Amino acid sequence: MYLNIKATKNNTFDAIVVGSGMTGGFAAKELTEKGLNVLMIERGREIKHPQDYDTAMKQPWEVEHRGKVTAHSAEELWANKRFGNLANDESGPFFTNDKDNPYIEKRPFDWIRAYHTGGKSMHWGRQSYRFNKEDFEANAKEGIGIDWPIRYDDLAPWYTYVEKFVGVSGQKEGLDVLPDGHFLPAMPLFAPEVHFKKMMLEKFNRPVTVGRVANLSQPQEWHTKLGRASCQYRNKCVRGCPYGAYYSSLSGAIPAANLTKRLSMLHDTIVAEILYDEQKQRATGVRVINQKTNQVEEYFAKIIFLNAGAMNTAALMLNSKSNRFQNGLGNDSDQVGRNIMDHHLGVGATATVEGFLDEYVYGQRPNALYIPRFRNWGNDKQSYLRGFGYQGGASREGWSRGVNADGFGSDFKQSLTKPGQWTIGFGGFGEVLPNPENRMYLDPTRKDKWGVPMIVFDAAFGENEIAMRKDIMNSAMEMMDAAGFKNIAGYNRPEVHLGLGIHEMGTARMGRDAKTSVLNAFNQVHSVKNVFVTDGAAMTSSSCVNPSITYMALTARAADYAVKALKKREL
Amino acid sequence: MNRRDVIKNVALMLGGAFSAPTLMAMNHWENPTKSYPSGATFSLTQTQRSIVAEIAELILPKTTAPNDVSPGAKDVGVPAFIEMMMKDCYLQPEQLSFMEGLEKMEQVKFLELNDNERKGILKYLEQETKAEMKARQMKQTKMGDNDDHEDIKKVAKGLPFWRLIKELTLLGYFTSEEGIKASFEYVQIPGKVENIKLKPNQKSYAY
Ligand SMILES: Cc1cc2nc3c(=O)[nH]c(=O)nc-3n(C[C@H](O)[C@H](O)[C@H](O)COP(=O)(O)OP(=O)(O)OC[C@H]3O[C@@H](n4cnc5c(N)ncnc54)[C@H](O)[C@@H]3O)c2cc1C
Ligand code: SF4
Repeated sequence: MYLNIKATKNNTFDAIVVGSGMTGGFAAKELTEKGLNVLMIERGREIKHPQDYDTAMKQPWEVEHRGKVTAHSAEELWANKRFGNLANDESGPFFTNDKDNPYIEKRPFDWIRAYHTGGKSMHWGRQSYRFNKEDFEANAKEGIGIDWPIRYDDLAPWYTYVEKFVGVSGQKEGLDVLPDGHFLPAMPLFAPEVHFKKMMLEKFNRPVTVGRVANLSQPQEWHTKLGRASCQYRNKCVRGCPYGAYYSSLSGAIPAANLTKRLSMLHDTIVAEILYDEQKQRATGVRVINQKTNQVEEYFAKIIFLNAGAMNTAALMLNSKSNRFQNGLGNDSDQVGRNIMDHHLGVGATATVEGFLDEYVYGQRPNALYIPRFRNWGNDKQSYLRGFGYQGGASREGWSRGVNADGFGSDFKQSLTKPGQWTIGFGGFGEVLPNPENRMYLDPTRKDKWGVPMIVFDAAFGENEIAMRKDIMNSAMEMMDAAGFKNIAGYNRPEVHLGLGIHEMGTARMGRDAKTSVLNAFNQVHSVKNVFVTDGAAMTSSSCVNPSITYMALTARAADYAVKALKKREL
Repeated sequence: MNRRDVIKNVALMLGGAFSAPTLMAMNHWENPTKSYPSGATFSLTQTQRSIVAEIAELILPKTTAPNDVSPGAKDVGVPAFIEMMMKDCYLQPEQLSFMEGLEKMEQVKFLELNDNERKGILKYLEQETKAEMKARQMKQTKMGDNDDHEDIKKVAKGLPFWRLIKELTLLGYFTSEEGIKASFEYVQIPGKVENIKLKPNQKSYAY
């Protein structure tokens, strides 16, 4: 169906980047800044920063359903709805319509997508933690999956590089388990959290810190140059920030790439296939479909970065078949689409806090407290492998406490205008082990409305995750008890599946051996040297920390390598 | 506590506020009400609208006390908000239990009762609902990075009428422009976040 092939010359760039999200944006910035002409191709609609954040400045009463999800939206965004309120009036219009973009669940998979400029970087929680040394070594030590081809020290300078550009607010703690980074001033802990921190150190020797979050607590000159300003503490980031105060591809990477005047962008353009030249043993370009007009076109480049998000990147590789690669581009190892990992969540505890009634907070902190991993760390040894971190925090109850409380009438009404008691809650983010049987593949017959094969998910938590979840809940309750909190209630939501952590990864892993992995130590496809995969697909293990800052560090490192190799004419 | 005990307790609390017809009507409480065809669109009669408005106003009444002058649920458009939300954001189970609740209010001739009797009915509903919510094992949970989430065990029957109307009254009122401005210190752009000491009688911030 090659309807329209313009002269090859017109559609040729130095590099093509597939996807404009967290990692695609960063790849485009790096490659353009290093002198390449880049075409970034985005399947979703264009969102202009900041004028298209049309819900950002709405007052509470201007949001029609006041934060609730309508039945219509719940039906259209059926997968997204599983996460909670993302499908509401404020952010729903920015997430992908699951009805129009269906996928198949052989086993349930909660897939949250945002097809538009910036991808999920527009909506992320901005929590940014480095992997630690152990995270890169555990697979090899424990005989799980395969070994990472890199170590912490390989990535450390790139973490610093990315943190500086992005702007991460955080507190240095000097911990091996949670390496410090390049931080902007930290946000405050609230009074009961300070108490909790002290108690945890005393009773368990467990450190607690304030979340490390990509919001500009103090913009630097390179941030303001891009039009980014200081955080105003409204905590309405999920609607898009009118001040560019939190990092996204839209507020940071794309403006930086645009400054070079070497970035071209296509929207509404689905990359359906990577074109492979059997003689040159290189990828030559991509075949795309316009999502509105169905028009097909081809674009060409010397190098191609795949940043469509881990699942879509793997799908794109699997859909790129040739004589040489009958099971999908770069898939000699049969690992493309396998080893799906995520972080499991929806498990933790809540409690009420007695006292601190003269303590209150002005402003809304777009952040939480963080309890770094303490399991299977140091002298701790559990029946399961790896560990988890907690995110959460304390706040004073607002009017909504009235919903479940007894009472009505004028006294009741007046009582709700005052802050209620303090409550605290935190939930775990647990590491998921790689397992080749946790996989996605392309359905042999069913296709989406553009004729691209549909993705089938066949993955689930294993024994290790299930055992860890029990501990996440119990340990949370134990810590709250030790801090003297009351009405402690643990939860372990049964309906959580892989995917709900929105940290899906692992489907084209890095490794030392082409027989068992897809990418080498520089995110280069072993068998197709001019294709790089630097989104979550590249991950060899998942750690328990939020992954995006790691994806960006890998991206910057791979881009540096790619451009050097290009200049040396190795590509 | 069974239903009869609940009625007795509430009657005691109110010092015998129930009239004989009300008590009789409440004895028929559990009689099946009219069933609604599935897929029927949600719509209220004028009488039902009046009942919703009166209940909402009882939950959050207009107050003119010297230390608290603030509009009531009716002033800020809560009744219409409730109807819109029931229609747009709830599925059939909740819509049915909402209608069932309204039917019961019609059976006890809610609009003909005096203020005290109306409050008695609401107290009764409140106690009844409490028992039902307990059975649903409701839990507040935190999901994801900074997201509060309410976990309620799924049962075929919709959430009880009282819980629905109370939640929507509070939501509609405390997020309305007049409701927010009368109740809280509304700050659209805080500009900073910091620990502060609460002053006596200080209102909550709303953002
Ligand atoms: C609510 C929420 C909270 C989160 N919180 C955090 C957090 O606190 N910390 C953290 O580290 N991470 C967090 N994440 C995860 C984070 O957003 C992702 O890790 C990150 O965005 C992944 O980057 P990516 O580039 O791989 O994918 P994305 O950012 O999703 O971008 C992929 C882009 O590729 C496009 N695309 C897909 N397929 C194609 C195709 N075939 N052709 C062309 N374009 C295509 C998509 O439309 C999209 O724009 C959160 C996510 C969400 C939704
Ligand atoms: S909290 Fe800060 S980053 Fe988030 S939307 Fe408000 S100003 Fe922007």
